[in-house]
Amino acid sequence: MKKIVLAIALCATLALAGESGGSFDQSKFIPDVSLIVDTGYVHRNVSNADLENSVPTSKYGDYGTFKEFNTNNGFNLNYAEMALHSNVDQAFELDGIFHYATESVEIEEAYFTTKALPYSFRVKGGKFKSDFGRLNSQHAHVWDFADAPLVYNSFLSPEGINAPGVQFQWLAPTPWYMKLGFEAMQKGNGGTFANDFDKKDGEALYVGYLKNSFDVKDASLLFGVSYANGVSNIEDAVSALPIYKGNSEIYGADLSVKNYFNSYSFINWQSELLYRDMKSDDATIDKDKKQSGYYTQLVYQMDENWKTGLRYEGFLQDSNGGKTTMDASYKTSEFAQLRLQYSHDEAFKQNDVKKAIDEIVLQLTFAIGAHGAHSF
Amino acid sequence: MKKYILALLFLLPLTLFANLSVAVTYPYIGALTKAIGGDKVDTVVLAKGNWDPHFVVPRPSLIAKVRDADALIMNGGQLEIGWLPPLIDRASNPKIATNAKTFLDLSQHVELLQKPTSVDRSGGDVHPDGNPHFHLDPNNILILAGTVKEFLISIDSQNSAEYEKNYAQFSDMWNKKLDMWKTNMTDKKGLKVVQYHNVMAYFNHAYGLTSIATIEPLPGIPPSSKHTMELIELIKKENPCCILHDVYHDTKTAEFISEKSEIKVVIMPHDVGALDTIEDLVSLFDYLTSAVK
Ligand SMILES: [Zn+2]
Repeated sequence: MKKIVLAIALCATLALAGESGGSFDQSKFIPDVSLIVDTGYVHRNVSNADLENSVPTSKYGDYGTFKEFNTNNGFNLNYAEMALHSNVDQAFELDGIFHYATESVEIEEAYFTTKALPYSFRVKGGKFKSDFGRLNSQHAHVWDFADAPLVYNSFLSPEGINAPGVQFQWLAPTPWYMKLGFEAMQKGNGGTFANDFDKKDGEALYVGYLKNSFDVKDASLLFGVSYANGVSNIEDAVSALPIYKGNSEIYGADLSVKNYFNSYSFINWQSELLYRDMKSDDATIDKDKKQSGYYTQLVYQMDENWKTGLRYEGFLQDSNGGKTTMDASYKTSEFAQLRLQYSHDEAFKQNDVKKAIDEIVLQLTFAIGAHGAHSF
Repeated sequence: MKKYILALLFLLPLTLFANLSVAVTYPYIGALTKAIGGDKVDTVVLAKGNWDPHFVVPRPSLIAKVRDADALIMNGGQLEIGWLPPLIDRASNPKIATNAKTFLDLSQHVELLQKPTSVDRSGGDVHPDGNPHFHLDPNNILILAGTVKEFLISIDSQNSAEYEKNYAQFSDMWNKKLDMWKTNMTDKKGLKVVQYHNVMAYFNHAYGLTSIATIEPLPGIPPSSKHTMELIELIKKENPCCILHDVYHDTKTAEFISEKSEIKVVIMPHDVGALDTIEDLVSLFDYLTSAVK
């Protein structure tokens, strides 16, 4: 109920700000507003109920959900995302990103960013998506596929590391692009760093990363390493019983080579490997766990309209199989995209039976309002 | 300790005489800044002259390029909307913040044409503040040179005499060229042209050419067969002299139209570096004013 009130208040404020005029006109101060709507139609060889009972075939793939969008066979309204952005003053800018699902509203992100710190320092604070790895900070509408890689969903949860905290970033004075970042967060959403029970007071998760990029002719090379260290207090979603308690570390390495042929066409090869080391405090609940997962993908944008991609991914230890995903998307303009995706996923079993999940998704994504920046 | 002082003494002259480092978005702004700044200014150009100015690739390497800039000059008029804001945002350099004295938006200093009274994206990816390709009117180049001069003086008054001198030289030279280009173009007045995107609006305005249609059905939307067929009919009726085509879009559709309607396709470079032979602003307008026939 509160959430709905919040949403209505927000819309009313915007509407009022837009209408006032005359001597005390405030309309010039309306922040940049945009709305993104994502819908999908799904056809899958596994029923909705069986999908919910999916268990990774890999022994150590637990502690994470594997799907957030396009969960149902048939029509899905995945989300509507409203984003507000404006300078606060000469020192700060502010971003608010509100995630509307059919029956809930969530503050996906709400954070300030500094504008005027010396020596290439930047500080962000509030609730935000961590800059861990290559994909965690990306919003779903800029993904190259309809879903995030399994290892991201498993280790970092479908929402990724996204929590209240503070972020420090520094650009090194090197001739190439080099960014060093550090974050302290209250907890890390679901996934590895869930803090569901016996909550530790204060912040519980620390993230650090180093990202580099340089160009060779019209190709850009990006490579980074990331590290997360935090408390894991995970309880079973259904029974609410504690299932894991301890300290967890995640190491990440990513590499991509993106070559532009002209202003509209590129090919991008991108790969990432995550390694998770969980040390249990209480062996009566569960044991230590080590696991790693990866994805590698090739995306080709032909022109302003057409784009296609191929991704292979999986887990390394004790995994039964991987997942292959292919997609093709067509844009009628920068603001509307239609995507057709097929995936074949052997990484799960349902009701103790190994069964590959074959899925076709037709996804439509629209954006209205302020012109978003092109992603890289 | 002594070593430090010694090192400082050596470094001091370097910082005292260090050039102003100015980052600019497009090559033509780089050429202007070089002309006025002379050897007091180092320019860093972000975009490639032969690629689409609306779709500059926001590579992370560009962040490193603006990270230590002393100033930033951009075209404005929302031409950079898709790529520059995140660079400014991530570069964490207060000197290139939009409210800084060391930030210059050129579009604020010239009269923009084709300001839409209302905008709606069903009309394509329109430029809401008016057509931002104003540097293609050579008369505007003179105004922009003056703007860049005032800007450099305002942030580096020590070298104002130098900037004044360079500006005087540039405007002398440019005025002579303007007369020449005007003579070249007098008999072109009233010619009808077709374009891919309305990049040449200011050039056409300066020399009295009339742009009757574009190959893209709506701004920023790639050609469609329906629109292309309509365009061929229009060309047969209106008899334009030629299709003015940019260097970065595929000329496939233009060539098809050319075949069907016997109209010439003329490649029009939009910026310094758009073609190998376009090395500076003078060669850009030399080329443009002799290309339309
Ligand atoms: Zn344009």
